[in-house]
Amino acid sequence: MSKIEHLLTNSYEKKISKSTYFQNRLFKFFCLFSVLILGLTLLSIIIFVGRTGLLVFKDVSFQEFFFSTTWEPYDDKFGAAIFILGTLALTGLTLLFAAPISIGVAIFTAEIAPKWLKRIMRPVLDLLVGIPSIVYGYLGLTVLIPLLRDITGATMGDGLLPAAIVLNIMVLPTISRISDDAISSVPSDLREASYALGSTRMQTILKVILPSAAPGLFTAVILGMARSIGETMAVVMVIGNTPQLPSDLLTPTAVLTSNIVNQIIDVEFDSTWNHALYMMAFLLLLISNLLIIIIRKLRVKGA
Amino acid sequence: MNIMKRVAILSLSLVAAVGFSYNGIASAATSGKIVVAGSTALLPLTQQAAKEFKKINPKVSVSVSGSSSIAGPQSVSKGAATIGAVDWDATKEVPGFKAFTDLKAHKVAAIPFATIVNKANPVKNLTTKQLQDIYAGKITNWKEVGGNDAQIVVVNRKHGSGTRVNYQMKALDGAAFMTKGENYKEVGKSGEMVTAVDTNPNALGYVDFAYVKGNIKAVDFNGVAATTENVIKGTYKVWSYGYLVTKGDPTGADAEFIKYIQSGKFQNGSLTKLKFIPIDKMK
Repeated sequence: MSKIEHLLTNSYEKKISKSTYFQNRLFKFFCLFSVLILGLTLLSIIIFVGRTGLLVFKDVSFQEFFFSTTWEPYDDKFGAAIFILGTLALTGLTLLFAAPISIGVAIFTAEIAPKWLKRIMRPVLDLLVGIPSIVYGYLGLTVLIPLLRDITGATMGDGLLPAAIVLNIMVLPTISRISDDAISSVPSDLREASYALGSTRMQTILKVILPSAAPGLFTAVILGMARSIGETMAVVMVIGNTPQLPSDLLTPTAVLTSNIVNQIIDVEFDSTWNHALYMMAFLLLLISNLLIIIIRKLRVKGA
Repeated sequence: MNIMKRVAILSLSLVAAVGFSYNGIASAATSGKIVVAGSTALLPLTQQAAKEFKKINPKVSVSVSGSSSIAGPQSVSKGAATIGAVDWDATKEVPGFKAFTDLKAHKVAAIPFATIVNKANPVKNLTTKQLQDIYAGKITNWKEVGGNDAQIVVVNRKHGSGTRVNYQMKALDGAAFMTKGENYKEVGKSGEMVTAVDTNPNALGYVDFAYVKGNIKAVDFNGVAATTENVIKGTYKVWSYGYLVTKGDPTGADAEFIKYIQSGKFQNGSLTKLKFIPIDKMK
């Protein structure tokens, strides 16, 4: 007993604990500082893009920017409706294909595939996430578009369909990996109870597992959506870059991201054109922030 | 303790890295740093010149990029580049673009432009009138200009391209381009134009001679073959001077670089090999 007391009162030990205390405080401040820097950067990006973007309404009416389909900046016509509609259509089309297929992939890897196949499929999906988007775009341009032209007899092959297919391949691994996690984390009690009641595997998957994994699946789909909305390099190579409302899925058109990246370098600083492009960027920022907020809300509900 | 050590090392190395790079910028300013931006039509030329210039002046750093002509004078005005490459004299006004009065333009080459089609396309010659009608969307089938029965895919460069400005002025005689349509698309750079025509047997486009290779071919213009000889003779009209622009008079490494490109050695050597034309050969 006295030995322990002796140790506790040892001045050497006290010094250590003091310096440990100091280091802990320092580390805490370092972390706090990092968080502050991050928050400040984010905030200033939003403020800068938003402020520059809103300047466009000095020269262009609100109505023209959002509802006009005439984008002829060299003639002072700044209607961004085509790009907004294009972005929404492209994202919708992508999800129409991507959501069912990738949830199917997720069900297969989580519930049906034998162990050895799971061990191959998961790393392969992870690898697909890491491929740079320009590679997908280039393959789309040189392989997919000529193929689509041969199959459909279309003149060009550029348009929403190739863009959606390319995006689909890009977001599929993202959505299916997250869905896979959501399905795998459904407690096995539920499965066993379902089987005990005499359900088949399909009934168990459709009626028990998918409903209880639903919040996770929604999160996965929305994350996929956020990725496809902001995607630029792959889309710009296959969309055709023509500011027009397409009559079908294989007519050249343009979306917010492709139009921004095509024109931003050539536009004069502080011109209306420049402000219009910033406003389009701000719209993208708002849309993706909205999606993230939706994910947060879903997580809270799911928990 | 361990984490603290790591943090300390990390922050130390960060400070060191920042210090070094700052030092790097400071010393580079004295030995010369050239940043070329702008035209993709001139890109093969500026890239080759940079390679050779660096061999002679190993201390000078030269970085070359290409996006479009208008980006050249704009980057120089903004201070993002020291030299801008542009396919027109940016100190004077051209249709659609204002004059950059704070810049100095230096003529470096004559750039010949070719109308290009896929090698699979049998069309050999196109006239000014035919090109005007195709680019206005009036002629839409190759049959109408002596080709196969197939829809013409019109590929255009985006606004801001110097190739586009010159092609419109010289090949189309100033006639307007269409800006939309079922068979119309725009690309950003000369290289993308080549890919677009390369991968589509029915595409029509235009680039400068330096890019004509692989699966694309140049068609004759008003019965005149697209060759550098015909440009020098004065029979092939679709060409323009290429310029390097600087903010005021160029100094130091920038002046040396421009002088190198204008030197007889480069003009008659690499420049000619890349199918550009030396300025002193043009009258």
